[in-house]
Amino acid sequence: MKKTNPSFLNGVPELLVLRLLSRREMYGYQIVEEIGAQTGGAMSFGEGCIYPYLHHMEAEKHVSSQRREVDGRSRNYYKLTPRGQKRLEELSSEWKRVTTGVALLMGEQHA
Amino acid sequence: MPDFIDQLRLRLLELGCPVGRMRRMVQEVADHREDLTEAGRSQGLSEPAAQAQAETRLGNPHSLAEDLMVSLRRSTWCGRHAFVTFVLLPLLLFPVFWMLVLFLGLSAEFALVFGWDYKALHAAADNPVVFHRCVWALQGADYVAVAAVFAFFCLLARRSAIGLKWIMSAGLICAVYALFIFAHVVPHNFSIGMTFKPQWTRAVIPLLLLGTVYWNRRRLVRGAIKAPVPAV
Repeated sequence: MKKTNPSFLNGVPELLVLRLLSRREMYGYQIVEEIGAQTGGAMSFGEGCIYPYLHHMEAEKHVSSQRREVDGRSRNYYKLTPRGQKRLEELSSEWKRVTTGVALLMGEQHA
Repeated sequence: MPDFIDQLRLRLLELGCPVGRMRRMVQEVADHREDLTEAGRSQGLSEPAAQAQAETRLGNPHSLAEDLMVSLRRSTWCGRHAFVTFVLLPLLLFPVFWMLVLFLGLSAEFALVFGWDYKALHAAADNPVVFHRCVWALQGADYVAVAAVFAFFCLLARRSAIGLKWIMSAGLICAVYALFIFAHVVPHNFSIGMTFKPQWTRAVIPLLLLGTVYWNRRRLVRGAIKAPVPAV
């Protein structure tokens, strides 16, 4: 078992973006909106802040992008790569491990 | 007051963002602003109010440009380790890189002029006219080697979108080395090493290149102020 969880919170935005992109291709604005909507407003990205994350993930080859025109609007669509899928699995299992631990502790306190 | 997108573009260029990257980032933020504006309009806001709301949600263009640049720099090893790449690496490896490029240049000249024939080379050493040409060839290869080493660091800086201060530090280190290294040839003998006698002409080469990099960045920023670089 790891002694520390350095990516406990740092990895959360990455986890959310990768999870959304595992379902379908999306562009920046859509990702921000979906995160807000699907977390019930509990998590929200600053509008402009999504692009540094996306560009960083693209540089790490976790996502790839392509400019496409849909409904008369041209936008950069991002999609998950096989490497990104692997990263998503890593982050998901880490997240489950951490939340299970926290739930255990919280349950103990409430008992 | 300059447009939000123009401010973002200008700040990205000031921070040393390569033009291609800058265009892509600006295009994406412009798309995002358009989506936000459209959402505002669909909520019944007027066009100026929807645009103002979109820009408020996007935040300060200068901070956004800085965040984008941090992300870009973090995506390369050189960007994440700027001190190692632009201070330690030139300090430790300038002589090695310089010798390597110098020997490559001299080998190419030797192959082209003498066809790898050592007897022809020794014969040339005894001929003052041909030998004089050899001295010039060595000097040329030496200057090219100094320029190539600094150009290599400029290339790394460009790829990692690093700030001017790091390029300047690498340039100054290269210039100091160039001041005290030497490559010397006399008939039948060739030597390289360090000297206490400053070699001013050679030291000027990295400084000239540094000036060119600085001038080019200023030109891009001034150009963006006068006539905004169009997005993709």
